[in-house]
Amino acid sequence: MCPARFTRTTSPRPPRAPHDPSAPGGLLRGCGGRCGGSRGRDGAMVRKGPGSAEGWVGAMPGGRALPGAVGALCRAMPPPARLVPETLRRAKLDRPQATLDFWRLLYALLKQIHGGKWSEADVLDTQIRFVKSALWYQGYGRPELHRLPSDGSAGSRELLLAFSWLLHRISLLEQLLARNRVRTGDETSVCMCEDDLSQSEQGTTEIAPEYGPEDRVDVRYLQWLNGRLRFQWRSLHAQHQEQCKLLHQIHLLTSGSHVDQILGHFSVTEMDLIRQPENYKQLVQLLELETMQLEAFLEWKQLEPVYWQWMETVLDNMAEEGNMCKPQDAHIEKSSLPKVTSCCPWADSLTGQINKLSRDLMALRDQLHELVTHRKSAWEEKVKARAEDLQREDFPATVRKIQEAVELKLLDLSNLCAPKQNKVHGLCRLVYRSKHSASKISFSRSVSKEPAPAVSATEVIRELQMREASLQRELKQLREECRQRLDEIAEGLDGVICISP
Amino acid sequence: MSLVTVQLGQCGNQIGREVFNAICSDVHGTHGLCSKKENESYHDACKERFFIEAESGVPVARAVLVDMEPKVISQTLSIAAKSGYWKYDDHSHFCQKQGSGNNWANGYTVHGPRHKEAIMNLVQKEAEKCDRLGGFFTIMSMAGGTGSGLGAFVTQCLRDAFPSSFILNHVIWPYGTGEVIVQNYNSVLTLSHLYQSSDALLVHENDVIHKICAQLMHMKQISFKDVNQVIAHQLGSVFQPTYTAEDGLHYSRNPLGDLMETLVPHPEFKMLGLRNIPQMPENSLAYSTFSWPGLIKHLRQMLIANAKMEEGIDWQVQPPRPGSSVPSSHSTNKLLHFNTSIANLVILRGKDTHSTDLGSFRDPSLYTSWLNPQDAFSAWKTPRAFNKYEKSASLVSNSQFLLKPLDNVVRKAWNMFASKAYVHQYTKYGIEEEDFLDSFTALEQVISSYTTL
Repeated sequence: MCPARFTRTTSPRPPRAPHDPSAPGGLLRGCGGRCGGSRGRDGAMVRKGPGSAEGWVGAMPGGRALPGAVGALCRAMPPPARLVPETLRRAKLDRPQATLDFWRLLYALLKQIHGGKWSEADVLDTQIRFVKSALWYQGYGRPELHRLPSDGSAGSRELLLAFSWLLHRISLLEQLLARNRVRTGDETSVCMCEDDLSQSEQGTTEIAPEYGPEDRVDVRYLQWLNGRLRFQWRSLHAQHQEQCKLLHQIHLLTSGSHVDQILGHFSVTEMDLIRQPENYKQLVQLLELETMQLEAFLEWKQLEPVYWQWMETVLDNMAEEGNMCKPQDAHIEKSSLPKVTSCCPWADSLTGQINKLSRDLMALRDQLHELVTHRKSAWEEKVKARAEDLQREDFPATVRKIQEAVELKLLDLSNLCAPKQNKVHGLCRLVYRSKHSASKISFSRSVSKEPAPAVSATEVIRELQMREASLQRELKQLREECRQRLDEIAEGLDGVICISP
Repeated sequence: MSLVTVQLGQCGNQIGREVFNAICSDVHGTHGLCSKKENESYHDACKERFFIEAESGVPVARAVLVDMEPKVISQTLSIAAKSGYWKYDDHSHFCQKQGSGNNWANGYTVHGPRHKEAIMNLVQKEAEKCDRLGGFFTIMSMAGGTGSGLGAFVTQCLRDAFPSSFILNHVIWPYGTGEVIVQNYNSVLTLSHLYQSSDALLVHENDVIHKICAQLMHMKQISFKDVNQVIAHQLGSVFQPTYTAEDGLHYSRNPLGDLMETLVPHPEFKMLGLRNIPQMPENSLAYSTFSWPGLIKHLRQMLIANAKMEEGIDWQVQPPRPGSSVPSSHSTNKLLHFNTSIANLVILRGKDTHSTDLGSFRDPSLYTSWLNPQDAFSAWKTPRAFNKYEKSASLVSNSQFLLKPLDNVVRKAWNMFASKAYVHQYTKYGIEEEDFLDSFTALEQVISSYTTL
């Protein structure tokens, strides 16, 4: 690390608050020939008030606000993730002591984001690997971070950068708050998104892996495993149905009892509270914790710009040091990068491919246009000829049948090509409506003040049924194709009859 | 998880009644040999599974009774109610005035569609009374007219109406020298249709049970009631509550699902055989002691040698030694004597089940080459003794147990079919020769799959 040189200002100041002698005091510039001054545009160095024990010295206006911002940020972190302002300060100066704390912090936060179970027991190495791959997944590709050692000895400033990047890029705090909301209602997940699975799986199925004789797996074993999976799914389905039945009973029997007129009935949590009132203490604790976090978050939002200004100073530091330390980085081999990077082609080849793709698409579109006009004219002739034939037969009936079939196909096609409207996705609270069918009130992610939109269960069911019908049609079509392929293959073989299921 | 039992035909109704009887008497017996708490959870699990609490306090069996003749059903209803411990729902039965005359086609194409709505209404009502529907358990005979034809049709309707529920068909294999001439036709048609709609077929052979009654229970005059009681005991030993996980804290609430998952995930292999030891007359129970190693050893040899009961086991039969024969060969040892298993489930009930060693069942040479013992073998246990047996062990096995009987039935049916004997009785009602051929093909496929294990 480059030696930190710091200067004192020359103008008379009130005595500074005592601070940690082991660390250089506060946010002062380091490196090279830039000492002795504040940044050009900001001018004066503003001192911290005497009351602060943290020893922050702001290098820019609003310096008094910085500890407030940092404090709010730390308080807004969800409980398993611990962050203290000291860690941030140390990280700016790239102190090794802060590295471990930062790895743990990022681990806890990213685990929550990815919905996984946060376990203290994970070894540091595993934690570090997880953080690196999760950051890569989110799109953070800075090689310096991925080259950090797996023993957590250095790199706290890199981690600070990554942390701030996460804060901004994926709205870390908002996401965490949404995830950790205390839920008193009965929730169910609704997903009406279009399934993109079919398209994305295509690539993998085409490339059949080459299996040697040792790797051969008996197909009956695979059928066995598939059958087990099916049975487990059916058991799950039955359990889910039971849960729905019991929820229905609770909702029905407690209608009219809720304070909130719109909801009208109790949820399971509320029922439980009635039966065992002592549990309210726990609930109140959770709510208080959440309130504290929300208040901290609001504070943070107001003071956020200060934090970003401070981060810019960190970036500047890094840039300077980077200039000096470049020759050392040069001979760190590519092989130390995580394996994952080799799967993602880097920027240049990517843009080249995108250009090629767009050219191909244009060419295809022109070809398609040509084909369509050609086909249309040929079709017109065919239709004329066929219409004459059909005059004798029951023309209107066949025409109707054909029309229906075509409409069905078009419906599928248009569904596929339709622009993706924002479908309902996420958790919804279940609310029972007796006159009309049960409806759901969506409390997904926004913090908006207007009443959240309600989605009725019948609507969702109807949409899902339509989707199911179209998927069934697709399945039938695929089965027919497979059947034809099998028949073709069977014809080629002697003495083999293919009996399709 | 509640099971809805559908009792079909004379055979199905009589056996069904005995099953509920056996379950009830087991639950009310004082020979649980376990702690009070254990007994209570056993009791609760059993009640949820098979009965509904009625206002009168007498538990009502979750069952639908179907028969074409009214006599058997009314008998069943009254005998059940007389016991005082349980009864059937008075409205949960369906019958007509006349039988099907042992004609499968009559049951399948005439009675079935005609009465489909009425029967399915009853089933739907029972299903709705369950908080959690754990599946359907149908009891029928393969050879008669009502049970077999109508039963096959009802199973299909169940599958259509409840596509994701578990359906287990309990099928009675007729006596080899049975009285019904066309029983082989009926059997072939029933089995092939059931194979399509059902998840698993649990088979009891009349011949085998008869022998058990004669040799083990020392009965001189064996009536259908005796046979049914043995069958009921064996079924009870499988379906009474157990702990399915090693360190389970609760009785399993998903008996059918667990059973299916461990034994019949593969769609081609659905035939299950059942063995239960020890089996002895009630009055000898007090004088006998059992040891787990002995019971397990006997059970294992019964599995390997395809023995039907614990007497007369051929101890010479041993599993092929690894490396001594090529896995997919048709060595004579394999074909003639040794019973290869796909999957096995052992259920232990009684004292000291936690200390039993089932390692001998995990021998890979018992199983087919494409499945390893971890996947193929499961064990369920409970410390609560069943039906006054201090220790009892049951084996539900998906293996070549039924290969020979199946082969015999198909062969005999085919011989009759080749000369077109009695086929007109079926074509009269719409079962064409095509349908027969389809059934034969399907069963040949099953036989071939089981042979090449």
